[in-house]
Amino acid sequence: MNRCVAPAAAVVCSGPGARAGRACCSRLSIAGSCIRWRNRQSPTGLMSKHLFSFSKAALIVISVLFLQGCATSALKTAEMRQQLYAGNYQSALAEADRVHQSKPDGVMENLNLGMLLRLSGDYAASNKALETAKRKIDALYATSVSEQGGALLLNDEVISYQGERYEQVLLHLYMALNYLSLQQPDSARVELLQSQVKLNEWGEPKDDVAFMRYFSGILFEMLGEQSDATVAYRKAVDAYKNTQYKYRLDVPLQLKKDLLRSLALMGMDNELAVYKKQFAMNDFMPDKKKQQAEIIVILEKGMVPQREQIVLQTWSSELSSMVRIAVPSYPRPPLHLSNTQLRIAEQQYTTQVVADIDAMARASLEENLPLITARAIARAAIKKKSERNVAENSTAMAQLALMAFNMGSEIADTRGWNTLPQQIELARIALPPGRYQLGFYSPATGSSAYQGEIELKAGEKVIANQRWTKPVLSADSVSGPGRLLIIPIFPLQIFLR
Amino acid sequence: MSLPQRTLSAGSVCASPMRNRLVYTLGLLFLLSLVVLSSGCGTKVTRVDTDTVTDLSGEWNDTDSRLVSREMIDDVLSRPWVSNYTRVHNRPPTVIVGEVRNLSHEHINTRTFISDLERELINSGEIDFVASATERTAVRDERLDQDLNAREETRKAMGQETGADFMLQGTINTIIDAVDGEQARFYQVDLTLIDMLSNRKVWIGQKKIKKTIQKSGWRL
Repeated sequence: MNRCVAPAAAVVCSGPGARAGRACCSRLSIAGSCIRWRNRQSPTGLMSKHLFSFSKAALIVISVLFLQGCATSALKTAEMRQQLYAGNYQSALAEADRVHQSKPDGVMENLNLGMLLRLSGDYAASNKALETAKRKIDALYATSVSEQGGALLLNDEVISYQGERYEQVLLHLYMALNYLSLQQPDSARVELLQSQVKLNEWGEPKDDVAFMRYFSGILFEMLGEQSDATVAYRKAVDAYKNTQYKYRLDVPLQLKKDLLRSLALMGMDNELAVYKKQFAMNDFMPDKKKQQAEIIVILEKGMVPQREQIVLQTWSSELSSMVRIAVPSYPRPPLHLSNTQLRIAEQQYTTQVVADIDAMARASLEENLPLITARAIARAAIKKKSERNVAENSTAMAQLALMAFNMGSEIADTRGWNTLPQQIELARIALPPGRYQLGFYSPATGSSAYQGEIELKAGEKVIANQRWTKPVLSADSVSGPGRLLIIPIFPLQIFLR
Repeated sequence: MSLPQRTLSAGSVCASPMRNRLVYTLGLLFLLSLVVLSSGCGTKVTRVDTDTVTDLSGEWNDTDSRLVSREMIDDVLSRPWVSNYTRVHNRPPTVIVGEVRNLSHEHINTRTFISDLERELINSGEIDFVASATERTAVRDERLDQDLNAREETRKAMGQETGADFMLQGTINTIIDAVDGEQARFYQVDLTLIDMLSNRKVWIGQKKIKKTIQKSGWRL
């Protein structure tokens, strides 16, 4: 009776048997519960002896290959992150490109490549990569039956990565920023609308990405669409409130001001009064100087945490034995980033946190962890059972090979868009037209990070975007002498409307 | 001499179907998926007529563009603004293509239906078109070059361009309603001809397209 099915990947044809055109001489079945050697129809005893040793050798080779072959995604992208963290964008890009080549249509690979291309200033190529990721995410909308089955046999990385929800939304943010850099504001607008469709389709307040709404409002305002901006600001306020329980991020003061100013501009006095009361900003007076230009600073700080694998040994009462499972986790607490001050023409301004991507990543894992764990336990049970069957019915060699394979293939899904910043900060500053020196300044270190010049025309809104990958630990979170206070100087990407 | 036969999986391993049913099913599933994946290899190209409707993702495609240009062409030539202008000025009106703003949810190439429209209107002989803002820069550069390099009798003088009488502007807007993999998409394309002298709108063309898209929740 042959009930065992060997997936094509695990069938190994080797030795003289295969050459002689016979059926596979050795067969390692990962899906089924048995490992078998079949040396039927061997012409001589000597030959079959050779065959057997060949099979054995093949088995050992495969099991060793599998042991080494299944490195976690965290490990595979470690070099890229390291380079990005150190501010070596070009090296990080080369690394991302290498990973991308191994899987050119992968969502994670394209997201990382897109981010690093953006940081390297190649906005068009960045958008191409991000667009590929977007299309793939769309194609992966449906749940794959075979992948889910595979995840029960190998590991969760069998399931195609389609990005966490916050990542799927932030994709549009970065594409919009790229289009702005390319002087295509209408295309940036398209991205905003697409993000809205996505958020609306989910329809779950807990999955709302407040900064995306806020940014949409800012862009609508830049495009002169005040009513759309008002709607976006209002939705942003709701989104911050709806996700406050997860991210502990209150409605930013700047957003409150923007909504009130917008409502005043639209002449929606009743609503203005309601929000004034709600925000406890009764003495708010909108700035009505039309000739003022505005600089909108978007500062991306730090790096999103990397999921890492933790291996748990847990008791399974059903199998009455210990089982080993690997699950993803964020083992380290969030880094404390120091405050940044913005300096424009010798004046100091503060930036406010508008998106805590670190918190989004953690919350997302927390939400998915029950399912991930359940799948890991089911997988462990299947693997254990197959090992037992082999133990009862075959040699120690076969059992060892299967155990090695099972252990080697059990890895946690540590994939993610791991080039995102830890948090995004924003400042909006109205200024009279003119040329300004702009710089970032860290009070904790007393050093300025960047100096650059920006020109503002009357009534113009300019976005200044800066990524600051190396987190600056603020004084209160640093213990001991190992203070990390190196501030790399990166070119400021400035784009004009 | 009997051949040594090593069949390590004796009947007992696979003899208990209950125990192995799950594993068996999953294995089969996995194998099946591999077969399906491998069958996707190789490129197949089929040439189709340009009028064939090929709705793949549900996004804006050539069929939408064609529907818009057909509607616009039929409409713009059947309205009285052309004959009115020709009667008063004794020459056909000259039109310049301005900006068609894409305010939709998709990255739409508006050039396709604008070119269709331009072509039909020029071929009708009732309307003249002048080069758009981006096109004429290249022409002016060439003229500048002619000034230096071309023979006197073939040289084209500066300042002889035809000024447009009307400007064609437009927008594409969309409304998308989506829930749980089902989408209703509504596109509205508006084109407007504006009199450059008086800012009067002489013609408004409109095309509405609606589609529903259903995404499957499962795949193999």
